[in-house]
Amino acid sequence: MADSTPLILGQKARSEFPIPGLALFVNFSRRKPLGGIAFVAVIVLVVTAIFAPVIARYDPNFIFKRDNPSYEVSPTLMQLAADSDIGSPVTVDSFETPSWTHWFGTDKVGHDIYARVIHGTRLSLIVGLGASAIAVSVGLLVGVASGFYRGAFDIISQRLIDALQAFPGLVLLLLLVQVAEPSVRNTVFAMGVIGVPTVTRIIRSSTLVVQSTDYVEAARSIGATNTRILWRHVVPNIFSVVLIAFSIGIGAYIIFEATISFLGVGPRGVVSWGKMVQEGRGSLDLHPWLTVFAGLAIAIVVISFNFLGDAIRDVLDPRLRGT
Amino acid sequence: MGTYILRRLILNILVLWLVATMVFLSIRVLPGNYASQQFAGANLGGVSSEAIAQAERALGLDKPMPEQYANFMGDLLTLDLGESFRTRNSTWSELRKALPYSAELGVFIILVGFSVAIPVGVISAVKQDQTPDYILRGVAISALAAPVFWTASIAVIFVLEWDLIQINVTGQPHVWSDPWGAIQWYMIPGFVGGFASTATVMRLLRSELLEVLRQDYIRTARAKGLTERTVIMRHAMRNAFLPVLTVMGLTLATLISSQIVLEQMFNIPGVGRMLFRSITLRDYPLFQGLVIVTTFVIVTTNLAVDVLYGFLDPRVRLS
Repeated sequence: MADSTPLILGQKARSEFPIPGLALFVNFSRRKPLGGIAFVAVIVLVVTAIFAPVIARYDPNFIFKRDNPSYEVSPTLMQLAADSDIGSPVTVDSFETPSWTHWFGTDKVGHDIYARVIHGTRLSLIVGLGASAIAVSVGLLVGVASGFYRGAFDIISQRLIDALQAFPGLVLLLLLVQVAEPSVRNTVFAMGVIGVPTVTRIIRSSTLVVQSTDYVEAARSIGATNTRILWRHVVPNIFSVVLIAFSIGIGAYIIFEATISFLGVGPRGVVSWGKMVQEGRGSLDLHPWLTVFAGLAIAIVVISFNFLGDAIRDVLDPRLRGT
Repeated sequence: MGTYILRRLILNILVLWLVATMVFLSIRVLPGNYASQQFAGANLGGVSSEAIAQAERALGLDKPMPEQYANFMGDLLTLDLGESFRTRNSTWSELRKALPYSAELGVFIILVGFSVAIPVGVISAVKQDQTPDYILRGVAISALAAPVFWTASIAVIFVLEWDLIQINVTGQPHVWSDPWGAIQWYMIPGFVGGFASTATVMRLLRSELLEVLRQDYIRTARAKGLTERTVIMRHAMRNAFLPVLTVMGLTLATLISSQIVLEQMFNIPGVGRMLFRSITLRDYPLFQGLVIVTTFVIVTTNLAVDVLYGFLDPRVRLS
């Protein structure tokens, strides 16, 4: 596990594996078995999200109904008072226990929970990957600019970052998600903003390290321009840090989305695991399946991304351990 | 040392000013204000815009933004945080009511977190890559992955099912007035929040300890014939614990985030729940005051931790 072979797609390895990238994966899994498993899990999750309508068996918003056994064509007032549904021929299939028809049961409204858990993967992945991508792109720009050019921009941006970091993340998020309508796009954007300070910090410090190396000094002494040094030396050398910053944050964004959905200010009109936990919480003792499966789904997705992120970090840059 | 602290203090004041400005602007960017939010529920009858305008005038919301900002900053200089739109009490008195609850819950969470994280981190490092290490790390990472609101919901059911504790919801007891009642009240959120916070500390402690255990002076200590226990407790832990201390300051911000959720769930009238409600209600002065005080606590703790670090580890030069 701890052999020191560099993680490079070698000439020999290339010929052994017909699928491009497979050698990289095999090498990675040999060094970090947990990371390999997590990588496979992430692929499965992505496939689930893409093919959710096929895997889910039912439409997540379909309301299951059945014939009302106690249906009366013309109920008396007394009967209506005892059972308000008595006048309708069909009744909603609410709180069905898990069965072959409904693998995870149904919720209060009569939705199939399995279908909703499967469809919830979409929101989680979009939010996790999207927010991390935004945070990393902005963080990369600001971090490299302030680490490379220093000066006034560095001082001002770093103080702003200090202020943003001192601000509790969830508070900022609760504010940002209420600025515009609670759509998926706005939520992703708000969460990306929350991640910018941390990413900027990491990228700025790596830029500073690269900049003080001998090869940058050498490039400078032979008269390379700033732009050239930036693109030929700095950016390629912090690429691994960028990848680490991207992968390590995803799990946290997914939890953040679930949390704000749980608090009732998450994106509207989509299936969210956080919202499902909230909906099932009131009757958790009677109908635990409403809450348990959605919560497990969150945990599984977050664990997968965390393990993958940790493994990527350990392989690419063990010095960052503990961040 | 003196210059360092002074420079950090000045920086902290700058950060606080930036946060205050951000808070001022961000809450006002939200659509609607306290007046319109209040009438939003009663909108069915059709509230005249005159009524809203009148309410806005009473709250000073009709003044231009620069004037509001100038007033806010002026008050802030005299440590006046204004009064809550909703209760008309000063923000300070609201804080005096809410802070004890949050502090009690926060201390509970930290105590649980550390009393789990430290032994687990040590065992995990000493038994590196053996079964206990894998199991403990697996549990810690799961604790990090499961959202607090979910673990808390499940914990409530178990506790209710087995009739383990009695929760006095209406009494809202404090530790000093009714210790056992308060402990039972904070039990579930305290343990859930504590477990959720262990992973970060435990993983850091483990990796630091592994680093330290490879040092020469550890070999010397073992060669002297000291017991493994003494080697770890007296020699390794002292050095491994320092970076953990730094993280403690940083976890404070995370703690506040999880307190928002837990206080909301368990109806604890603390700062977290008040923050959440002040955003929804657009209670500008209350929100501004709460965030500024929270930020102040966070930056001051971080400064204190850094200064303490310099005392505990003479190798670290503060500059």
